[in-house]
Amino acid sequence: MSDAPTEPNPTQAPVEPLRTHPASPFMRTESNVPPKVAGIPGPTPPAMRVQSTWVTYRSQIEIGLALLAYLMLLIGSVTLLRANPEASWRYIVAVVPVLPAALVVYLFVRRLAQTDELQKRIQTEAFGFALAGTALLTFTYGFLEGAGMPHLNWTFILPLMAVLWGVGTAIFTFRYR
Amino acid sequence: MKNRLRVLRAELDWSQADLAHRLGVSRQTVNAIETGKYDPSLPLAFSLAHTFKRRIEEIFEAEVKR
Repeated sequence: MSDAPTEPNPTQAPVEPLRTHPASPFMRTESNVPPKVAGIPGPTPPAMRVQSTWVTYRSQIEIGLALLAYLMLLIGSVTLLRANPEASWRYIVAVVPVLPAALVVYLFVRRLAQTDELQKRIQTEAFGFALAGTALLTFTYGFLEGAGMPHLNWTFILPLMAVLWGVGTAIFTFRYR
Repeated sequence: MKNRLRVLRAELDWSQADLAHRLGVSRQTVNAIETGKYDPSLPLAFSLAHTFKRRIEEIFEAEVKR
């Protein structure tokens, strides 16, 4: 960076004459094209940034499909187990839905790794919020259970954490706006 | 930290999205840096300096606490 002062200041480079013409029906003024500045290429033409749904939302689509696979296997597994509660293979069938769930985890971690540094910070803060919030709520309900409230299945913890994670993402995204 | 990002961007007639595209970050990140709500990492600051062909000190200025 020390050689920067020796180069001409790009903002003082001569502006393309085309740009200096007043708007006229007879002369093309190219108002949408930024001036060419020496040393710095202009913005990428918009055509370069048009991306297909698959490119833009690839992770979301993949995670959605994996979740769909999880739901389908879960329903299939539960149905099979209800019909054959005494079968010798029931434990294997019971854990089959874990496979697409593991795929969701893999895709999710990969997606996190691809996000930029601000998104990573927002996610870290949102996860912290979700963890602390879940701890607080589950402790609170644990005390209430001790006082006589009905017992809740602990599979409720994950959805609770997911909801708090979503709320946290919204809060911290708004904070950096 | 204070910064001159908005001015430098305006001089080149770049939108936040243009700059974000060059830096390989999201537009939200460029916006958060410009408004001073987020201080970029050292690699991103260098990459900003490289993009504008300036030194980091010419873009960012630490707010001295007295």
